[in-house]
Amino acid sequence: MGLIISAVVIGGGLLWILYLSIKGQDVDRRIVYLFVGATVALAIIFRLEFGEVATPIVKSVFDKIENLPAGSKIVLSYDFDPAMAPEVNPMANAFIRHILEKKHRLFFMSLWATGQSLLSVSLNDVLKPEFPDAKYGVDYCNLGYKAGNEGVLNVVITNFRKMFPSDANGNSLDSLPMFKDVESLKDMDLLISVGGGKPGVKEWVLFAGDPGKIATAGGSAAVSTPLLYPYWPRQLIGLLGGTKGAAEYEAELIKTHPRFKDKGMPALRMMGPQTMAHVVIIAFIVIGNVAYFRSRRKGKQS
Amino acid sequence: MTSKTAMRILTAIVALIFLISWIMKSGSGMSDSAFTNVRDGFLVTFAVFLTLSIFSFLYRDNPFYKFAESLYVGISAGYWMCYGFWSTVVGNFVPRASRSLSEFFHVPYQEHADHILIYIPIIFGLILLTRLLPKIGWLSRWSLAFIIGATAGLNLTRYLRSDFISQVSNSFIPLFVDWKGVGDFVNHISLAADGQFIAILSNWVIFVGVMCGLVYFFFSKEHKGAFGVASRVGIWILMVTFGASFGYTVMGRISLLVGRITFLFGDWLNIL
Amino acid sequence: MKYIILLFLTCLSLCLSQAILAQTASSDPPAEAALVPSEPPAPPGNLTLKDLPNDDGHGIAVKWDLSPDDGAGAKSVISYDIYRSLSPDAPDSLWKKAGTVVLGVKSYADKGNRESDNDDYLPKKTNLYYRVYAVGAGVRSVAAAAGPVQAYDNWFNTLKVPELIFCVVFLILTVRFINMAKRGIDLYVRPLAGIEAIDEAIGRATEMGKPILYCLGIGTAGDIATIASFTILGRVARKVAEYQTSMIVPCIDPIVMTIAQETVKAGYADAGRPDAYKEDSVYYVTSQQFPYVAAVNGTIIREKPATNIYLGYFLAESLLLAETGVMAGSIQIAGTDQVSQLPFFVVACDYTLLGEELYAASAYLGREPLLLGTLKAQDYLKAIALVCIFALLALRVFTGADVIHKPFDMPWW
Repeated sequence: MGLIISAVVIGGGLLWILYLSIKGQDVDRRIVYLFVGATVALAIIFRLEFGEVATPIVKSVFDKIENLPAGSKIVLSYDFDPAMAPEVNPMANAFIRHILEKKHRLFFMSLWATGQSLLSVSLNDVLKPEFPDAKYGVDYCNLGYKAGNEGVLNVVITNFRKMFPSDANGNSLDSLPMFKDVESLKDMDLLISVGGGKPGVKEWVLFAGDPGKIATAGGSAAVSTPLLYPYWPRQLIGLLGGTKGAAEYEAELIKTHPRFKDKGMPALRMMGPQTMAHVVIIAFIVIGNVAYFRSRRKGKQS
Repeated sequence: MTSKTAMRILTAIVALIFLISWIMKSGSGMSDSAFTNVRDGFLVTFAVFLTLSIFSFLYRDNPFYKFAESLYVGISAGYWMCYGFWSTVVGNFVPRASRSLSEFFHVPYQEHADHILIYIPIIFGLILLTRLLPKIGWLSRWSLAFIIGATAGLNLTRYLRSDFISQVSNSFIPLFVDWKGVGDFVNHISLAADGQFIAILSNWVIFVGVMCGLVYFFFSKEHKGAFGVASRVGIWILMVTFGASFGYTVMGRISLLVGRITFLFGDWLNIL
Repeated sequence: MKYIILLFLTCLSLCLSQAILAQTASSDPPAEAALVPSEPPAPPGNLTLKDLPNDDGHGIAVKWDLSPDDGAGAKSVISYDIYRSLSPDAPDSLWKKAGTVVLGVKSYADKGNRESDNDDYLPKKTNLYYRVYAVGAGVRSVAAAAGPVQAYDNWFNTLKVPELIFCVVFLILTVRFINMAKRGIDLYVRPLAGIEAIDEAIGRATEMGKPILYCLGIGTAGDIATIASFTILGRVARKVAEYQTSMIVPCIDPIVMTIAQETVKAGYADAGRPDAYKEDSVYYVTSQQFPYVAAVNGTIIREKPATNIYLGYFLAESLLLAETGVMAGSIQIAGTDQVSQLPFFVVACDYTLLGEELYAASAYLGREPLLLGTLKAQDYLKAIALVCIFALLALRVFTGADVIHKPFDMPWW
């Protein structure tokens, strides 16, 4: 029902704009903004959702985590700020759920100052309520933020303790059981960086994954994703690009581990409004081109 | 009605809505503490006010937008200054420099750190600040030279390996995947994503794209004849890439819009 | 031309040697283990030890021949245990277990710890002794022993030889071309549409009696794109002085502003009109990204420049600037090395210099030997990459074998 109402309202509006364009009237850009806003709002109110299927570039990350033996060591780095959080936070939360569900050891860290607080939010909102049996220092630990960008990676690729003498709570790394057999990043089975700026996935590939020959995966904001495609599949085992990538991962997670179905997957919810907005933008591009070619033809005729 | 009067009326309306929202959000708070409810109600309402102020720029530049932008710039400057101190000075320098300082700032002291050597980068950092003093500003060039030289040296091998050598190596893809002859290929042709036809097509697109893209950026020869054709193909492929990049960016921006509207409808209006 | 051939042959021989290495490297398939034996398996033979190359001196490479009972004979081997000690006669309790590998594996890289207080400390330049046991189900063989061996730190990382070769090649090319440019030899750089449009755009501004806006981006004086933009700014300033029109240069960085002022002043002086230079045409706005954009947008809307030139380092503000310019009706020429911003400039501007074209434009206009030499060297390096990719792919197609999968990733020892 919501889809029908949205289609009628938005479709009707688009047809009206097409009519104005054909008549040669200019359409104020504020009308375009209003349309996009209204489309997104309607889609959110009517909770429009569409199914997602994981593409190979996303599935490869999922399969890697799914097939690692229990107890594998995985680093998850929060390299983003609140501006990127709506896009990449769902990815990070999906990774937390998947990794702990498979009983792997999760090492949190951050190369962005703002990443540490967003990491705390994930720990409080996702990890602790959904995995009450997960023990700090045994199943997961939080190393916190370290300033130095790629300089941090240059150090931790040979020695963790030199850069992180203690974790974010002040505990010495040697006091954490999960660090018993961990000397450096090279002892990790998988590195995952979630972010979209610098330092981000590219720096993890350049300074950790590639030189240390460690499997690396990424979750990136949509803006930075095209620049990371050249690294797949050799230097990056997989990449989640923007909300679409996050939604695909969540869909795969629900398919394989149905207990997460009721956990309110935000990326899957966002793809409905996203899709509707894209349809409206495509329609505007078509309308704009129709108006352009009509005016060019009129100009030639006159 | 003059614009000043209109602005005053608008400001009054906004203030009234702000107050009503604050009162209603405080009243519908879930905490047992009244102070917490009032505080959370104010924070949500203020966040909504700032969000809508920024959005108002889409209509026209106005004092609400200017206020929100100035607030953002000022707070971010102050935030980063404090964070820079706590993360760099207290996080990196203090644990290596002094046990008593480490105890004062409640950070673990690093026993095995190079306590004397840490002062070398400190001195270089202080020298960098001489840029602000015209008479001795030339001293900062030494620090800059070290920064630029060290960064260039560190990055040279990394970028050469990851962005050049590995990419050249990644270009050695099979142009004929699982080739068993033309007959077999024609018999099994399909548009399946994991099929032979799509795999061969993808590899050819990558191969042609890399070759023609490199040809386009070749500046030592004029783009004429076959070279010009390859260059033309290259720029077409580049434009397709830019289109894909543009589409990805639009998706990113729409995601942020969805996030904001979800906040407005969910956390503020409670209609989700 | 002979340089190209020489370098192509070097690269081809390099890659082919890797191909041969790739073909000769092989791994034996793991054998199957038998059920519970009654006797311990035979020990592995021919235990050899050597320093682990390309490390910091805390690693030993241990190699052995498979036990006769590994995949053959009694088929009782499950794994191999490797032990390390500082003395060949040390009691069993002082032999530290270095690692375990599964059946069928004939080597182990013992990478110990660098810290002396660590359990797994492996000292360098100290005699070390090793024992390797073939392990069955609940039993193990007599040890194969060897030693002494010492671990040394290495000066040279042979895994980075490809980087070294490329660096040397690039250095030779760069020095050669810079010398050629200094000697006055004309190094050809193809014309760029965006740069040729600048003269036309300046003429248009003169006819309309409106100024030209030149934006250097949000980079600092150390960013390569900003440095390239300074060269073009000088050329634009000279043209503006010749045509007797005006220009506006808002800057985000005080150092950039200082350099831009000197550049524009020099441009006016080159045109023979130093008196026409106005100090406040090049000014500092703010150091924050979006307030800077807001100020420049305001300038565009108020002054309505005929031409906007955006050359330098840009981020998210690129589309904001370009769109405002479209609304003001200006001709827009843009160029940046930020690939993520190029789509916005391409869409909103009349001419766009894509990535490296910005540096080429700077070399094309400035004709400085350093810029020209490095540009030509980059071109030749691209040509080498092109030839390598094409030749080796052709080799793969005609030989039909996947022998060059990772030519530059093979270890060189």
